[in-house]
Amino acid sequence: MITLGIDIGSTTSKCILLRDGKEIIGKSLLVGGMGTDSPKKAMDTVLKECEITPEDVARTIVTGYGRKNFEFGDGEVSELTCHGLGGRFVFPELRSVIDIGGQDAKVIVLSESGRMSNFVMNDKCAAGTGRFLDVMATILQMDIGDFDACAAKSSDPASISSTCTVFAESEVISQLANGVKREDLIAGICSSVAARVSALARRAGVMPMVCMSGGVAKNGAVRRALSESLDMEIAVDPLAQYFGAIGAALYAYRQAIK
Amino acid sequence: MVNEIFDQFHKIATAPRAQMDSYLQQGKKVVLTSPVYTPEEILHSMGFVPMGAWGADVELNRSKEYFPAFLCSIVQSMLELGINGAYKGASAIVIPSLCDTLKTLGENWKYAVKDIPFIPMTYPQHRKPAYGIAYTKAGYERVIHDLEKLGGKFDAAALAESNRIYNRHNQVMRRAEEVLANHPEITAAQRSDLFKSAFFMLKEEHTALVEQLIKELEGTAPAAENLPVIVSGILTDAPQLNAIMDELGFHIVADDVAAQSRQYRTDVPEGEDALQALAEKFGNMDNCSVLYNVEKPRVQWIVDTAKERNAKGVIVVMTKFCDPEEFDYVMIKKACEKADIPATLIEVDRQMKQFEQIRTNLETFRDMVNM
Repeated sequence: MITLGIDIGSTTSKCILLRDGKEIIGKSLLVGGMGTDSPKKAMDTVLKECEITPEDVARTIVTGYGRKNFEFGDGEVSELTCHGLGGRFVFPELRSVIDIGGQDAKVIVLSESGRMSNFVMNDKCAAGTGRFLDVMATILQMDIGDFDACAAKSSDPASISSTCTVFAESEVISQLANGVKREDLIAGICSSVAARVSALARRAGVMPMVCMSGGVAKNGAVRRALSESLDMEIAVDPLAQYFGAIGAALYAYRQAIK
Repeated sequence: MVNEIFDQFHKIATAPRAQMDSYLQQGKKVVLTSPVYTPEEILHSMGFVPMGAWGADVELNRSKEYFPAFLCSIVQSMLELGINGAYKGASAIVIPSLCDTLKTLGENWKYAVKDIPFIPMTYPQHRKPAYGIAYTKAGYERVIHDLEKLGGKFDAAALAESNRIYNRHNQVMRRAEEVLANHPEITAAQRSDLFKSAFFMLKEEHTALVEQLIKELEGTAPAAENLPVIVSGILTDAPQLNAIMDELGFHIVADDVAAQSRQYRTDVPEGEDALQALAEKFGNMDNCSVLYNVEKPRVQWIVDTAKERNAKGVIVVMTKFCDPEEFDYVMIKKACEKADIPATLIEVDRQMKQFEQIRTNLETFRDMVNM
């Protein structure tokens, strides 16, 4: 049985095709999320690449911010539920998922058996999210993908005292004007995100094994700062950005076999 | 018939101005009553119509001239409505001193809304000992004095009668709350209308309508149980919030909401002196974030009620910047965890336009409870 999970985020759309709830047979990721044609394109892409017709798919579940407005799904589930399921699929011993997406951050805590036992979401605030990093990358005129390598060169990370994106933006500009090195600023920016998210994680009762999901999981500097702040190892997987879609495909499978 | 009664509650809950105009046209004087607790019985006994003023979901502009942004939006929206003339025609407003923000509202009201006099009701923190009850009684006497300036006449026998009317309303509301716990088909929105309409009606009128509802519901077979939960907070009347609760299949089997059941938990005790008895009622009140009690019995009340009503979870609806509720939340969360009752926190304010984050939270909570 083939099921499809679609995760429509604020900045990207991800799809996973799952066979019998066990084997990932295809995946796609397109830039552009809710309100764009990327979700449909991502779905068409994964089906085409796997040579599967929509009729072959037993059930499609949609998750993420855009889940309400996607007409090609059979149902929708919250992204937190899906990130928990998807994370556990990739890491069978997983107890905590820290998901830092484009617009928000979430922490999901799982019981020993993998059941979601707690979750915390950030408030309506860009601090501690991918958006914070995007804003900072724009100020520094850098590609966000270069943050990791650049932060690794830092010897004296700058202190970004404000947790508000708007105020932090002014702070970074002031620090630039004061001659603070770019690598130190980037390391400080990543630590700032980590500090905000680690507070959220502690509130949720984070416990090992911990993994990161969402687009920011690819940022090694944030990951390292978060690991240091929580004093816990943080696992990451190349599929980290697909946890939501994997969880949705798994959820679809569980529904389909009922 | 049940739905027709709920339609009446809805009509009144969503059009308080029309309700106020109707009382004014009948030649009655309306006195606004602010959150969280005011001695409505006194107002009622002196011939005034007490009308709840808990603000509204409006954009805040003029109130910002008086308040900083980081203040409870219920209070801010009350001042906004006052400045914009939404309460025009009211003879006065009674504002209690039950939280710091309410204290600032009273002071700002005096300057911002000059045509509606502010009547302070200063409550003691230690309300249970004899000296606390005496303090409350003195506060009530001050309210009476201010109402007399507006043409009201105090009479102990009339207060005793009003106490009786309010006690009857309390009993009916408590009974309605119990009956609703057995009827999952009654939506969160309908439940909210039932409680909200009570603020805008004379209690004897509301009692009659609620009694009718109870009778009808008791003769109706309940639908199959959905997802029973307890809701806690100050205010949960946002239509979008209730729509999400209904869409996700939550059935509110009990509430710990200040604008709902907390209002009706305690009756005025029997006593020769009606005013003394009313002061004793305040002393007897408990289980509320703004009623000081170092033991915090509210926390255990939530856990016990959840168990008693077979609730599968507790939804804490936090009014943004409400310090008393925020202080209690940590204890509630820990107590629920200890009792193995899932709990979630959602944050609301009077200016919210987007409820998607709340939807995601509640959807996840539903999955967490169900999976």
